[in-house]
Amino acid sequence: MKLGENIRGFTVVAEPTNSGGGRCVWSFAEQGGRQYFIKQFLDPKWPTEQSMGSPASKARRREVCHEFEKRHNEVNNRINGKVAGGGNLVTATHFFREGTTYYKVTDRVAAEAAKDLTKFTDRQTVVVLRTLFMSMRLLHRAGIVHGDLKPANVLLQRSSTADLYTAKMIDFDDSYLTGDPPPPDQIVGDQQYGAPEWLRYVKQDPGVDAGHLTLAADIFTLGLMTHVYLVGELPGYDRSKFGAPSEAVWAGQSLVLSGQLHPKTRDLVASMVSSDIAARPTIESIIKIFEDDRVVQLGGSEPTVPLTPEARSGEGSATGRVKINMSGGSTPSRVPPPRPSRPAEGPSRVRINFDPKK
Amino acid sequence: MDANSISLKYAVDIVFCIDVTGSMYPVLDQVKEGALTFHKRLEDSMAAKDKAISKLRLRVVAYRDFADKPSNALEQSAFFTMPGQAGEFESFVSRLRAGDGGDEPESGLEALAVALHSDWERGLDRRRHIVALFTDASAHPLGTGSSAATYPQAAPATIDDLLEVWGYGGGQSAAMENAAKRLLLFAPDTTPWNEIAADWNNTIYVPSRAGEGLSEIEFTEIIDAISNSI
Repeated sequence: MKLGENIRGFTVVAEPTNSGGGRCVWSFAEQGGRQYFIKQFLDPKWPTEQSMGSPASKARRREVCHEFEKRHNEVNNRINGKVAGGGNLVTATHFFREGTTYYKVTDRVAAEAAKDLTKFTDRQTVVVLRTLFMSMRLLHRAGIVHGDLKPANVLLQRSSTADLYTAKMIDFDDSYLTGDPPPPDQIVGDQQYGAPEWLRYVKQDPGVDAGHLTLAADIFTLGLMTHVYLVGELPGYDRSKFGAPSEAVWAGQSLVLSGQLHPKTRDLVASMVSSDIAARPTIESIIKIFEDDRVVQLGGSEPTVPLTPEARSGEGSATGRVKINMSGGSTPSRVPPPRPSRPAEGPSRVRINFDPKK
Repeated sequence: MDANSISLKYAVDIVFCIDVTGSMYPVLDQVKEGALTFHKRLEDSMAAKDKAISKLRLRVVAYRDFADKPSNALEQSAFFTMPGQAGEFESFVSRLRAGDGGDEPESGLEALAVALHSDWERGLDRRRHIVALFTDASAHPLGTGSSAATYPQAAPATIDDLLEVWGYGGGQSAAMENAAKRLLLFAPDTTPWNEIAADWNNTIYVPSRAGEGLSEIEFTEIIDAISNSI
């Protein structure tokens, strides 16, 4: 793919790049005055008559291509057909092969990914999260695991009629049917946002097989993202021992959720990031809880004692944390509230005292 | 449970396959500079994403032309583990000088074959095996100059055979793991590079433009190819 190249009627209008893309090169394109996002897949390559290789080699490579097409069409058909109307799923408008190479085209969305929503008003925040959850519901009703959910794959689009943003979910190229993921050496996922069963699958832990990679893996990720969106950072875990939340949860360690979260949200996120796959809520029940606008409100008291280094969650520390025991064994224990790394009250959010005794 | 045993460990091996013929003189210093600062930049990029590489190794395969001067047509190093062997890597790279090669084409396919047959890391949880090839010239057909004693045994007879060494999903004869490998080609839009770019999977092709040489963007592409995919 080159700048200026015409690929099946799409003119490439920006220098193609691999930046932000794992197994693809991408760019922007135009067709009939309309803007598109175009992605060139690096694997597989269809052998043409002029291609290198023996007839036997070409036959084997074409088998791989047929399997690739089948998997993509299966996911695309489920998203585009059965769950049509999901305008917040940025799905492929075109999927085709040109010569040896496969391409996917989507509408170009005038939107950007957000690191978090801490500068948003409560109203803006609840609209983003509801639209994100509803997109996830469309996927899950179709039996599809997104597979590579992370903030970079959720774009926020400003409404043309109100000071609100909707969440646009992108990149379904690594999606799979629930319980039927790619092999461990090929499955994609983000180290920071992956579920513990994803990590165990990648590491080929004998206690986990493909059947464990279900819609609940997305729910774990969504729990981490909800925490990040609301308070600006991942839940806390012992960073001196673990590289990611999934590692800590797999080891039976507790994630430390922000005490700023509304109690209902805190309980919800705690269940979403549970090590017990069966204990995680469905997307339907998450949406139900978020019908209440108040659940995005932040509260908690001013911190007075620094968070222990072991439980620090990131560069910044949220306030008023409550340690949740995910193993379900002993009583949840409290840890001292941490030192704040950002103003206790953001510019747009109203701080609520959730504790009626204060 | 032992935290060390459950953490996800990534191994990254990179082979810089560099044309060091006379025509590369204007850009070789850029390539060397990019290679020498590479591991620090990659480390910074990974840290920014809150990720880490457990084991990083770099290797160099420098080439000229077996048809011109077989004695200096290939200079190759072993893998150097970073950062512990950074000094040895720097020493090897610093010794590379642009010269000889005669007219193009050069022995790029032989060098590529040597690179593909590197002693790739097979352990840890996830692996990324990258060959980054830099050239401003086309390449001889495989076998050119094969009577020389220095001609690499790793080089197959034809480009069809070289494709099998590169491999594809489900292939049986590949030297590299299909999911782990990437080929980054910084080469002119000529044969055989444009044909390889068309037919080989997991290949990112950045055609060089006449007179522009190589630029900063090349090493950024390599870093992106690693840090975005693990």
